[in-house]
Amino acid sequence: MMLHILTKTPDSSASIEMQQAVGEQDSVLLIEEAVSAALDPAWAVWEQHQSRIFLLSEDLIARGLASIAVDNELPMLDMDGFVALTEQYAKIVTWY
Amino acid sequence: MATPDALLVVIRHAPHSSNWLREGLDAALVAAAFGQPVHLLFMGQGIMALLKEQGSGAPGQKATLPIIDMLEMYDIDALWVSEEALQGLRIRQDLLVDGITPVPAQEIPMLFQQHAKILNF
Amino acid sequence: MHHGLHYGLLVMGAPYSSPAPHSALRFAHAIIARGHKIAGVFFYHDGVHNGASLMAPPQDELNLHEAWRELNQQHAIPLDICIAAALRRGLMSESEAQRHGQPAFNVAPPFELTGLGQLLDLQQRADRFITFA
Repeated sequence: MMLHILTKTPDSSASIEMQQAVGEQDSVLLIEEAVSAALDPAWAVWEQHQSRIFLLSEDLIARGLASIAVDNELPMLDMDGFVALTEQYAKIVTWY
Repeated sequence: MATPDALLVVIRHAPHSSNWLREGLDAALVAAAFGQPVHLLFMGQGIMALLKEQGSGAPGQKATLPIIDMLEMYDIDALWVSEEALQGLRIRQDLLVDGITPVPAQEIPMLFQQHAKILNF
Repeated sequence: MHHGLHYGLLVMGAPYSSPAPHSALRFAHAIIARGHKIAGVFFYHDGVHNGASLMAPPQDELNLHEAWRELNQQHAIPLDICIAAALRRGLMSESEAQRHGQPAFNVAPPFELTGLGQLLDLQQRADRFITFA
């Protein structure tokens, strides 16, 4: 069980490599450029990891994507929530 | 395969594109020199580091193949390669250095689960 | 039940080139705000540029070098820079500048030049180890 942090866009090689590594129990946090995934609710990863994938809200807000994430009913976390998520996972890998 | 105290170093970047490959391998060598068991997993463009015909290139370009050849001396003998990535890049295994173990796509998540410590380059 | 965890941070992105250092700093403050500790920050790859003391961004931009220094001053968090990655990129402490016969240096305490062993040690000691790159 581990947490994957993606920092690059959904079509990046980092994203593709992360998808090859994510296990069934794992969670995914999208930060930095990765929050552009909010624009595409059809992205396969939303479906595959439902209820275990989150977007960092301040990175969404900075990029003008927060209301789109709300409209698409995608789960958001603030920085405090990010730390709380890391409390739950002893192992964390970042994909960049 | 399952050695919980081993460090998994993931290599995802090709030679001569950035310093990620060299600095990732440096971290693996230092860990091994400190006595930590180290396993290497090559994904995506990282597989390019294993092509056995890599030459010296233009003057001033430092090759990384000598570091790959050195891994065994540091007791790093697990060199895993994503089979899916191999096929994606259309690289035949006989083009790679010896001692490579291809890993089927469905077993990649297991490698990540089995290692308590991971460094991702 | 998760109070008082020790976090180790690995920063591998350069300031003003990558969002990684800024994310790492915001995360660091959030860690402390939740009652955890930071065992250390290690700078590797292009992250070594965070240690450049001659950084002088425009006044309306956050000075990331200063922000790391303040984090150290407020919470006594070690800021370690990989020496090999730093020298390669033109970052030197006073003693390294002397050794290399250079007329200037741009890495000073609280930033310390150290070996990769320190990174592996941090990863071993920390309850949580997180990379920003």
